Amino acid sequence: MKNKVLCKEVMSHICESLGEDFNSPKCKAIKEHLTECPECIKYFKSVERTIEFYKSYNCELSQETHKRLMDSLGLNDIDN
Amino acid sequence: MEEKKLIEAAKNGDKKALADLVKAYEKTVYNFAFKICRNPDMAEDIMQETFFSMIKSLKQFDGKSKLSTWLYRIAVNHYLMAVRKNQHEFVSIDDENELYDNRFVSDWETIPANFLENKELKNILDNSIEKLSPEYRAVFLLRDIEGLSTEETAKITELSIPAVKSRLHRARAFLRKEINKAFQR
Repeated sequence: MKNKVLCKEVMSHICESLGEDFNSPKCKAIKEHLTECPECIKYFKSVERTIEFYKSYNCELSQETHKRLMDSLGLNDIDN
Repeated sequence: MEEKKLIEAAKNGDKKALADLVKAYEKTVYNFAFKICRNPDMAEDIMQETFFSMIKSLKQFDGKSKLSTWLYRIAVNHYLMAVRKNQHEFVSIDDENELYDNRFVSDWETIPANFLENKELKNILDNSIEKLSPEYRAVFLLRDIEGLSTEETAKITELSIPAVKSRLHRARAFLRKEINKAFQR
C-alpha cells in the first residue's frame, strides 16, 4: 500500500508532527499509524515529555540578580 | 505604555522607558540563557551582555522583527561566543539509526508528575543537554521551549529552514534517547 508506513519511518518523521500542521497524505498516514502502533505511541509520548521536562525546568531570577543587572546597566536609580 | 512607544521613548534617551523594557524581558532572557548554558553564573553574564548590546544598538532596531526575537538573537550570539572560547567537546548526532533506535524504550508513563522536584532527575536533564552541541541546543530551545516559529529560529541561528528542521529532529531524538537511557539505569 502506497501510504503504508513502517515504525522506523515514523521515527524519522515523528518530530515534525509535533507542533507543525501537516496535511500531506504521508503525514496523515503517520498520524493514523500512531493511533495503532503501541511502540510508536510510546516513542511519540516520550518525545513530547522530553519537551515538557525542559519547558518546566526554569531558573528563578532572584532580586539580587535583578539588582546587579540594573546596576550594571546604570538603571538602578530609576528602578522601583 | 505599549512596547512600540517604550522602544521609541528609549531610543530618545528616556531611561525610565529603557528600564521598563529591561524589566519586561529580563526573566525571559535569563531563563533562556540558563536553559542554553545550564549555569546560573554564565546565564547572568549572558543576560547582562544581551542588555548591554540592546542598549548599545537600540537605535538600529527597526521594529521589523519582534523585540523578543532580536533579544534571543543577541543572547544566542553571546552564548556561542562564550562556548567557542572554551572549546568544549560535544557528541556527534549524525547517525540517524542510532538516534531512532527504539529498543528498550522505558515506559515514560510511570515517570511521576513531580519529576522536576527530584535533584537527581534535574541532573539527568542537565547532563543530557550538555552533550548536545551549541547549534543543536539553540534550535531545540528556540523552537520547542521558547515556542518561536521555524522561520524565526532560522533567522536567529542563520540557518536555512530545512537545516532548522533537521537539527530539531535530531536534537529532540537525542535528548529523548539520553533521558530514556538514564531511566533504564
